Amino acid sequence: MDAFTLVLWALRIGFLICLYLFLALVVRTLWRDLRSAVSTAAPSVGRLIVVASPLGRPEAGTSIPIDAVTSLGGDINNTIVVEDPDVASQHGLLTFRGRAWHLEDRGLGAPMRVNGEPVADATTVHFGDEIGLGRVRLRLERPLERVDP
Amino acid sequence: MRLARPRLRMRPRTRDRELRLLTVVALAMGAGWVSLSSTRSGGLSIGDPVPVVCWLLAMLGVHVAFVISGRDLDQVLLPVVGILGGISLLFMERLPQGLVVQRFGDRTLMLGDLQLLWLLLGLGLLGITAISVRSVRWLREYRYTWAALGIGLLAAVFLLGDEVNGARLSVHIGPFSGQPSELLKVILVVFLAAYLADNRPMLARSSMRVGIIRLPPLAYLLPMLAMWGVALALVIIQKDLGAALLLFSVFLALLYIATRRGSYVVVGLVLFVVGAAVLYGVLGHVRARVDIWLDPWADPLGAGYQVIRALYAFGRGGILGTGLGAGLPTVDGVAAIPLIHTDFVFAAVGEELGLLGALAVGTCYLILAERGLRIAARAPDDFQALLAAGLTLVVVLQAALIMAANLRLVPLTGVTLPLISYGGSSILTNALVVGLLLALSDRTAVRGVPAPTARIARSAVA
Repeated sequence: MDAFTLVLWALRIGFLICLYLFLALVVRTLWRDLRSAVSTAAPSVGRLIVVASPLGRPEAGTSIPIDAVTSLGGDINNTIVVEDPDVASQHGLLTFRGRAWHLEDRGLGAPMRVNGEPVADATTVHFGDEIGLGRVRLRLERPLERVDP
Repeated sequence: MRLARPRLRMRPRTRDRELRLLTVVALAMGAGWVSLSSTRSGGLSIGDPVPVVCWLLAMLGVHVAFVISGRDLDQVLLPVVGILGGISLLFMERLPQGLVVQRFGDRTLMLGDLQLLWLLLGLGLLGITAISVRSVRWLREYRYTWAALGIGLLAAVFLLGDEVNGARLSVHIGPFSGQPSELLKVILVVFLAAYLADNRPMLARSSMRVGIIRLPPLAYLLPMLAMWGVALALVIIQKDLGAALLLFSVFLALLYIATRRGSYVVVGLVLFVVGAAVLYGVLGHVRARVDIWLDPWADPLGAGYQVIRALYAFGRGGILGTGLGAGLPTVDGVAAIPLIHTDFVFAAVGEELGLLGALAVGTCYLILAERGLRIAARAPDDFQALLAAGLTLVVVLQAALIMAANLRLVPLTGVTLPLISYGGSSILTNALVVGLLLALSDRTAVRGVPAPTARIARSAVA
């Protein structure tokens, strides 16, 4: 076998090696991502993003992981304490039952709104919907697996 | 009033992983190009490296644009597009250039140059989509517009389409030609994602009992029947088996993702089997495809020619391949496989890069699938999750479909290998899909102040 054939063979194999080097690096990245997602997974079924909160409770811009039952209101015993003149102490209940989210208004304060529409009694809500109590607006989002630093 | 901190959108954000992966892409392309040109010239040479250098510089340009934009985009997708597009470029430069010839004025462009042009345009589209699409809410709001546009595209193909290779796919308007079914796939995925996000709870909850299986009520089965109808129409009117199969499988997968109900999948598969059986009996072109698949040796020089040639190409390649440029491109002056630059490009990969190269290409699509489905899993709402999953599946299932057809595992259905096959419509559409996936992967909005508040705050400060 002459030298040139050998060089050609090396180039061929070199190309394949480069391809697999690329794949190995990518797979390592994916694996690390998966590992960190598993280790930091929060046991929540959804999140509430505080879109607007004039009085700062809850703080605007924060993301609150929530469980299957979440009560909203001005009283300190609620899961999420909402401070606003129009919010009653026991204002509403957000629950995840079956495969859907439900929002119940306890009828003690101003009606809650979903995407700007007033809620009479109870309604289903979906991820991406915006819940309004008084001047506070919360957006329901899917649970986040991981928050990057 | 407490003011939210305005978010600095243009703060550059380094992307080390992406840069590292792109370096390896450059290394691989360099090795591949030297290997190809040395084989062709018979001595160690780098030939005319302009196309590969163009492609790598374009990748670098998009990377820098991402860094400057400051968006927290996925860092794996761009390098994967880089390696697939790079392999495409190597093969299009290597295959007989006369397969595609187009004249623009007094310039004549051949296969390799044209593909480079499409790849660069595609990369530009990808970059612009990834950086500029900040909210996909408008995609959801105009869902019925998309549905109408999709039907319009179908009608356009029906009225203006030319029949090429037994399928009515391309539309010629003036000097331009395109395959609307490529874009149709994306439009239908957007519509399906919006539709399923709207009706998910209803579809998932209610049910009616038929014997031992629980079925959703008839009203909710209507969309499935409509989708089945669209797929059948594609096969009957356009003779486009590939798009029909792809759309119906993506639809079933999305329905399952949205509802987690196996019964829908069962109903869908039953519909598929019924439709396939009826069409096999009624339509000649469907029967021909299946018969070729079952026994290509029945007519080895006619109908079965391509399929048999592809099998021999894989066989010649073996494990390590013959090497770039050392395969068997032509027999008696004609391409060994007539559609080697589009439908059968995977056979060319199998021949010259061998089993290892073919597996590497397959793995790239698997990586694309993992990334896309993860973007779906992390999406903030149902629409974005379904959209990301649908876009991913449309690319990956298409790749699986045509790779399996090249290997004679399924009948040949005439779809392109995404990001590798020659063709403007295919390259641009798939680049658009990856661009949208990148845009959906951005998580900056979650961590910072939500966009509407920030906008109000900024105007208040000003």
